[in-house]
Amino acid sequence: MTAPLLQVRDLKTWFPIKRGIFARTTGYVRAVDGVTFAVQAGETVGLVGESGCGKTTLGRTLMGLEPRRAGEIHFGGTPLWPRRHSASLPFRRRIQMIFQDPFSSLNPRLTVLDIITEGLLEHGLIRPRERTEAGVRLLQEVGMDPDVLHRYPHEFSGGQRQRLSIARAMALRPDLVICDEPVSALDVSVRAQVLNLLIDLGAAHRLSYLFISHDLGVIRHICSRVIVMYLGVVVESGPTSGIIDHPVHPYTRALVSAVPVPFGSGRQRVILSGEVPSAANPPSGCRFHTRCPYAMPDCSRIAPPLERFQPSTGAAREVACLRKHELA
Amino acid sequence: MNSNPPLLDIQNLSVAFDTDEGPLTAVENVSFSIARGEVLGLVGESGCGKSVTALSLLRLIPMPPGRIQSGKVVFDNRDLLRLPASELQPIRGGQISMIFQEPASALSPLHRVGAQLMETLRLHQAIDRPAAWATSVEWLRKVGIPDPEQRMQAYPYELSGGMLQRVMIAMALMTRPELIIADEPTTALDVTIQAQVLQLLRDMRTQSTALLLITHDLGVVWEMCDRVLVMYASQIVEEGPRSELFHRPCHPYTRALLGSVISLTGSAERLVTIDGQVPSPLSYPRGCRFAPRCPYAFDRCRAGQPPLESIAPQRRSACFMASAFAQGGDMP
Ligand SMILES: Nc1ncnc2c1ncn2[C@@H]1O[C@H](COP(=O)(O)OP(=O)(O)OP(=O)(O)O)[C@@H](O)[C@H]1O
Ligand SMILES: Nc1ncnc2c1ncn2[C@@H]1O[C@H](COP(=O)(O)OP(=O)(O)OP(=O)(O)O)[C@@H](O)[C@H]1O
Ligand SMILES: [Mg+2]
Ligand SMILES: [Mg+2]
Repeated sequence: MTAPLLQVRDLKTWFPIKRGIFARTTGYVRAVDGVTFAVQAGETVGLVGESGCGKTTLGRTLMGLEPRRAGEIHFGGTPLWPRRHSASLPFRRRIQMIFQDPFSSLNPRLTVLDIITEGLLEHGLIRPRERTEAGVRLLQEVGMDPDVLHRYPHEFSGGQRQRLSIARAMALRPDLVICDEPVSALDVSVRAQVLNLLIDLGAAHRLSYLFISHDLGVIRHICSRVIVMYLGVVVESGPTSGIIDHPVHPYTRALVSAVPVPFGSGRQRVILSGEVPSAANPPSGCRFHTRCPYAMPDCSRIAPPLERFQPSTGAAREVACLRKHELA
Repeated sequence: MNSNPPLLDIQNLSVAFDTDEGPLTAVENVSFSIARGEVLGLVGESGCGKSVTALSLLRLIPMPPGRIQSGKVVFDNRDLLRLPASELQPIRGGQISMIFQEPASALSPLHRVGAQLMETLRLHQAIDRPAAWATSVEWLRKVGIPDPEQRMQAYPYELSGGMLQRVMIAMALMTRPELIIADEPTTALDVTIQAQVLQLLRDMRTQSTALLLITHDLGVVWEMCDRVLVMYASQIVEEGPRSELFHRPCHPYTRALLGSVISLTGSAERLVTIDGQVPSPLSYPRGCRFAPRCPYAFDRCRAGQPPLESIAPQRRSACFMASAFAQGGDMP
């Protein structure tokens, strides 16, 4: 296999907790706490996990928007961030992010035309007089009416704004697009249109996606591999259908069992008990042990490594669980 | 359910925005009601007017450019659209609370989340600061925020998308309102936390709190709602009890919507979408607004709009073919 497009090794991003009038650092929120994975060119990798487990922070760190505390990021073989701004400009084009909140990620003072063609101008990919033409093409690509070009973000519904963010990200023809919940604000039909669009653009331009979503149906549909995070670390990763059909890690099991489906009959749900632990003070040993229905005494002492594992049913994968052999 | 007067009764609500290109119809002639303790789902295409409907009930749309053109919103024998601002203020966040689709509408970026929670509580309840602190912490814990005492001190930007959404949910529930309007309350939540939050919303029903739930997640609608309203292009096109509506949709848009659900067991086939584009709210077609995309449309559909009519007890549909759908077979 050729070198991956993106290789991340033992990445950590911590946020200082500052308290008191002197803003003394009293501890750290360990949002991302030792994450390793790779994305191949043209591959779509899903990233799922509990709310607050560090997915957005991971994406922002890959974009160079958060300083990392430790670890390495290689993009196309080149180490990324920190580097001088001028040297990083090409990378800023090649990695794009579609942000989770379509409301605050669009500048309210710019028109649609400005928003979606700004990057093209900045990177010298079009001339100023080609702006309108480029804007119309981009809007058509995301299924929006070209006559909205001169309107402002606040005039659009949540779903419409998310399409504008997609148009903006795609404009620069990046190699890697980090999609943070790109379709959760969309109705199912528009969602399907946008996903088909992302798939088509991906195939046409050999794009890679790191696709953050809470919707396992969507993840299953578009991602060949999935990474499951819990409290700053990866607990399971591997082929999407293999993991969704036969989850091994107890957190993944709970996640898969909780998906609400229309016409759903009462499936057996794993309801997680116990308080959600804090990323400022993660539990010892396995971070999931405080809520895990299968935890045993060793789980609170030993942090299980993420290891390759072949369960008796389902695909080979990586799992971080001491009891994986019994559970599989 | 229908013998008592409804908790909230909306009649002929129409809302427009003045734009550079002319007036934009966001909500047109919308009528529905919610009973005490009922969970009513509101679904429909992006941009069809769900949020504007919800915001208009409490007169929260920006005016101008927004205009509430007509309608009545009767709550507690009072028309909220005509109430003096001083009487509407205590209802907002007190008897009726709102979980906004846009976090910025509910939370100020400049203040710590704890201060904002306490302020909401103290605005609607006579409690002192220590009690307000304790109640706020308890609610953050209920919505699954880790380390709630510590998080009281956090600014909104220090929280993840899903945590912010849960802070808003806590803020909306903790005043124990009679009606909660929840606009996409769980989009940023993973399914395990979502299940926990939905359970909290269900628990509110035991105190006969009603819920208007706007969501794109039809799985959540299925799990939560008693009744469902479907909007398309600024109008209500269908209404019915949940199971009947899901099993026997009587409007082609609802049928198409249910047909586009992405299943968890799905294969790698192309996702089903509804062909064509939503008409622009600046220039809706004369006939049925779904006709240009409807596989069943015939001449009459393009000539005039089908009225929203009762087709069975508790069921309404705006389609000339509705009775045929109602008698036809169930969805596969
Ligand atoms: N302030 C505004 N100025 C002009 N138009 C507006 C404004 N707010 C909303 N609109 C328009 O009103 C229509 C309805 O918007 P609304 O936000 O209610 O949609 P929605 O059904 O909630 O969609 P979504 O599911 O995407 O959130 C849209 O066409 C939108 O562009
Ligand atoms: N700027 C910041 N300052 C301090 N803490 C932060 C900051 N940004 C994120 N955090 C914390 O880092 C942790 C991870 O947050 P992140 O936004 O990455 O989660 P997430 O997995 O994207 O969650 P969600 O699914 O809810 O969006 C959370 O505990 C959050 O409070
Ligand atoms: Mg996030
Ligand atoms: Mg909305």
